[in-house]
Amino acid sequence: MFSKILIANRGEIAVRIQKTCRRMGIRTVQVFSEADADMLAVEMADETVFIGPPPASESYLVQDKIIDAVRKTGAEAVHPGFGFLSENPVFARRLQDEGIAFIGPNPGAIEGMGDKIQSKLTAIEAGVSTVPGSTDVISDEKHAVAVAEEIGYPVILKASAGGGGKGIRIAYTRDEVIEGFGSVQDEARGAFGDDRIFIEKFIESPRHVEIQVLGDKHGNVVHLFERECSIQRRNQKVIEEAPSPLLDQKTRMAMGAQAVALARAVNYDSAGTVEFVAGQDRSFYFLEMNTRLQVEHPVTELITGVDLVEQMIRSAYGEKLPFAQEDLKIDGWAVESRIYAEDPYRKFLPSIGRLSRYQPPAEGTYQGAAGTYVVRNDAGVIEGDEISMFYDPMIAKLCAWGKTRADAIDGMARALEDFHLEGVGHNLPFLSAVMDQERFRSGKLATSYIKDEFPDGFHGLPPTPFQLDVMTAAAVFAQRMAIVRSLGGHGGRDEWTVMVDRQARPVRVLPVESGIEIELTAEDRVLRLEGCDWRPGKAVFRASLDGREFTAAIRPAAQGFEIRHRAADARVLVLAPRQAELMAKLPERQPPDTSRMIVSPMPGLVVSLEVEVGQEVKSGETVAVIEAMKMQNIIKAERDGVVKAVGPKAGDSVAADEVLVEFA
Amino acid sequence: MQHILEELEKRREQARMGGGEKRIASQHGKGKLTARERIEVLLDEGSFEETDMFVEHRCTDFGMENQRVPGDGVVTGWGTISGRLVYVFSKDFTVFGGSLSGAHAAKIVKLQKMAITNGAPIIGIFDAGGARIQEGVESLAGYADIFLQNVLASGVVPQISVIMGPCAGGDVYSPAMTDFIFMVRDTSYMYVTGPDVVKTVTNEVVTHEDLGGAKVHAQKSGVADGAFDNDLEALTQVRRLIEFLPGSNRDRAPEWESFDDPLRDEPSLDSLVPSNPNKPYDMKELILKVLDEQDFFEISADYAKNIICGFGRLEGKTVGVVANQPQVLAGVLDIDSSKKAARFVRFCDAFNIPILTFVDVPGFMPGTKQEYGGLIKHGAKLLFAYAEATVPKVTVITRKAYGGAYDVMSSKHLRGDVNYAWPTAEIAVMGAKGAVEIIFRAEAKSDPAALAEREAEYKARFANPFVAAQRGFIDDVIMPHGTRRRVVKAFRTLENKQLENPWKKHDNIPL
Repeated sequence: MFSKILIANRGEIAVRIQKTCRRMGIRTVQVFSEADADMLAVEMADETVFIGPPPASESYLVQDKIIDAVRKTGAEAVHPGFGFLSENPVFARRLQDEGIAFIGPNPGAIEGMGDKIQSKLTAIEAGVSTVPGSTDVISDEKHAVAVAEEIGYPVILKASAGGGGKGIRIAYTRDEVIEGFGSVQDEARGAFGDDRIFIEKFIESPRHVEIQVLGDKHGNVVHLFERECSIQRRNQKVIEEAPSPLLDQKTRMAMGAQAVALARAVNYDSAGTVEFVAGQDRSFYFLEMNTRLQVEHPVTELITGVDLVEQMIRSAYGEKLPFAQEDLKIDGWAVESRIYAEDPYRKFLPSIGRLSRYQPPAEGTYQGAAGTYVVRNDAGVIEGDEISMFYDPMIAKLCAWGKTRADAIDGMARALEDFHLEGVGHNLPFLSAVMDQERFRSGKLATSYIKDEFPDGFHGLPPTPFQLDVMTAAAVFAQRMAIVRSLGGHGGRDEWTVMVDRQARPVRVLPVESGIEIELTAEDRVLRLEGCDWRPGKAVFRASLDGREFTAAIRPAAQGFEIRHRAADARVLVLAPRQAELMAKLPERQPPDTSRMIVSPMPGLVVSLEVEVGQEVKSGETVAVIEAMKMQNIIKAERDGVVKAVGPKAGDSVAADEVLVEFA
Repeated sequence: MQHILEELEKRREQARMGGGEKRIASQHGKGKLTARERIEVLLDEGSFEETDMFVEHRCTDFGMENQRVPGDGVVTGWGTISGRLVYVFSKDFTVFGGSLSGAHAAKIVKLQKMAITNGAPIIGIFDAGGARIQEGVESLAGYADIFLQNVLASGVVPQISVIMGPCAGGDVYSPAMTDFIFMVRDTSYMYVTGPDVVKTVTNEVVTHEDLGGAKVHAQKSGVADGAFDNDLEALTQVRRLIEFLPGSNRDRAPEWESFDDPLRDEPSLDSLVPSNPNKPYDMKELILKVLDEQDFFEISADYAKNIICGFGRLEGKTVGVVANQPQVLAGVLDIDSSKKAARFVRFCDAFNIPILTFVDVPGFMPGTKQEYGGLIKHGAKLLFAYAEATVPKVTVITRKAYGGAYDVMSSKHLRGDVNYAWPTAEIAVMGAKGAVEIIFRAEAKSDPAALAEREAEYKARFANPFVAAQRGFIDDVIMPHGTRRRVVKAFRTLENKQLENPWKKHDNIPL
């Protein structure tokens, strides 16, 4: 076996690879850029090599630097991870020439699958089903109709040079083909100066299903079943799972067989992924093959028990696959959530900064209320790390495994509750929202899922009755603790009015041995909060309510507490009844009517303000450019209007939510 | 007999109604609580003991003799906050608009005297129209009587003012002389002369809000030490502040059970200071991670943000925290930040509250605006305040401690008791670049490459805490992750610190 491997990557995947290396007794060399000098992967590695400035183009992507580092350290092999140089045949070939093993497929396979047209032709040859469509340019309307009718409706008409939503039409009928052909051609000619049109089968509500394959240098190839990655936002996968709730065993094996056939056709000798687009009817068509380890590989590992990184290393060393297809079985279900540094409440804008708190759930087996679940967390950060603007804003990949899909989802929902982050915006509430959605739980996925379910963006979810109880109980417990302390042990009163976002609930509190009982006096119910180890200063509130375990995020506010449980958050006040009465006399502070305003989504510097008072602005028009962390962000009007006032001027600094432009 | 008892109850009921139902409703309509409701929220339930409920004014001019309301526009008394005695007066806008008569003033003065004698904080709630014009000079005399007591009480008992409505003219000077002023957003304003007078005198057109609203005073003028969303929130926060403070200068700050481990390590602090010396970081993270339970009551959070002041606890005991904020203007000391911190340090010293200082300061702000504004004297205030303070002082330099600002920020030389530095500290006269440009002025012009070398040399020699540590100006260089532990232990040694300044009538701080 190799005695030393260099990891030409960073962050969580570098850590992930090192873990397997360590288990196999292989020494590790970690390269790092200036921005990554303190990252976990550097701390963990046996040796480290500095490779230059933060931009990847000056460090992780510079082949000479990586090869120099290999030479300098005497590493025998390079694991490229994903991204960066992982699918670069030139790099793979250079290593080959240098006598360094590339832990990935042979350069020929990378090349063969790297070219979209070539890979599709190879796939067709290998008997892989591809999206039916015209192979040559459509000459006129008649031709278009003929092709469309051969493929079967609906079809999609695509400009050859199209992109960004332009030059695309979906047609369900002959007439729509005729009409669409003309307009796509016009649009394409105008937008791209290229009016060549193709026609393809249009798959409605498509899903993204992919097959993991694994090969060795002895001609053996197996597949490790599928993953479904339909929960995406702007083509970025957010939640993945294995297996797919769409597939039945027959489709699974058919897809697997095709993927293996394709891999064989290119002498595939490592881990790779064959991506398919699937219809709701389980029809499936080849999209492309990724000749590398995939980000979402952990879900496959969790259901098969195979360490894919280990198998890649062994294949690269020349070992034979230790298992045949029939040895592989699906055990249970696994879900992965990608935790991103982004602000889900602000259109998922990237949020960079220092992770002042990073407390993930511990990895291992948990006994949930319904069933057992296993938590795995692939991360490359520790508390205090910087999420920098130079790389992917992913903080961690949180996985949960369960015997059934429901167990895995329930486990994930709990693990997300147990994940605590501060310092940067994050999508934990959003991920939690999806886990709680009936549609997700029923497995009716599509790549349009997020757009379908959150058409106006994400704004959190209103608390469910259980969540109202959670918030009530947590706030009462926290308040009681503070009062008992400040009165020096005297318990104070038992009757309170709890207000969850101004909704009043009278309660009576009774301490019991294991915690507290909260009588909801107006509802004739009693809540029992037990097993709580919360103390003032803790941001995480863990307890069980009426026997159901939960974890909530809690933060003292100017009055009361800000509490978040999953996707619901609220300001919760615990008031003496008389105070609640007085509170009711105060008018609720109306948040400013922001529909008439454009506010800065982030703190930054105003580069330009493009509108002036009195100007008429159309929706979509640029009103300002804000520079934040060296990135220029174009702020657009979301509605038509006449400018009544402008806030800052070019050169001013603005805070998040500061009003830039106000409409009349 | 029964009849006499009933008479008392009847009179009380009448007093409690203040200006009557209609005015009370109008008060609520404006989003404000009444004077008595505010006291209810402020104090522990049922603890309020009212004084001078039956006081009435003595004015007989302009028909005033026919308008008398028991209490005369201010509710006074005492009660407890978390079980500890406080005195409180609350102006009643429903009675003569809360305006100040001689009798009204006498009630407040009586209370102020009690607070001083009995050693308990006094809290004033303001929502009033100013002087009772019908009373003329009687009213002015009343103001001055209150002012005098404010001054006598200063440094003896904590004085807190909460502005919850209009506060103008003579009314502003009493709060101005108290230790802390809090305001309520949208419903309170504070100015010497109102928009009408401003317009007459200067032709300037300005709204109440823009002239003296909470935003103005909490962000621009620095007059207010905090602004809150409504009456309940403001009073809840005053309760929280009181929990940090001693009753008087004769007491130690209160102590309670801490739920936090005093020796807790915070590994993430090791990466708080970025490797790039010009990159900002958030000093508040350090403060929150060092203090008990992340509990920090910040004073003037929105004003002169380049310095952070506030109260926290270590092992359940109050400390005052002063820290440069590298995130704002690189944490530089300027006029506003010097004034803000100087006042805070003096408050802590007056009330036996130990001071914890975190230093990352590149120096004093250069420029004509600052010099014309008197930076020399204002900067000297902070220097003065730290130097005269005899309470326990523990200092941690996290990064820059340059020039005179190093001296100012609770240095060893100003009787800092325990002074620590992180390994990232740079204690020097100035940054390396500036220093070599002066030392090697001639070379700088002829050979810029050599200058860069000199800069590196200077950096290696001085941009660290060890030169200062060699001289004993720093007691130890500590690991960032152990800051809480080290600071806690340092304060433990200062429990019985005794230090007195030479007797004087009072000092002459550069005002």
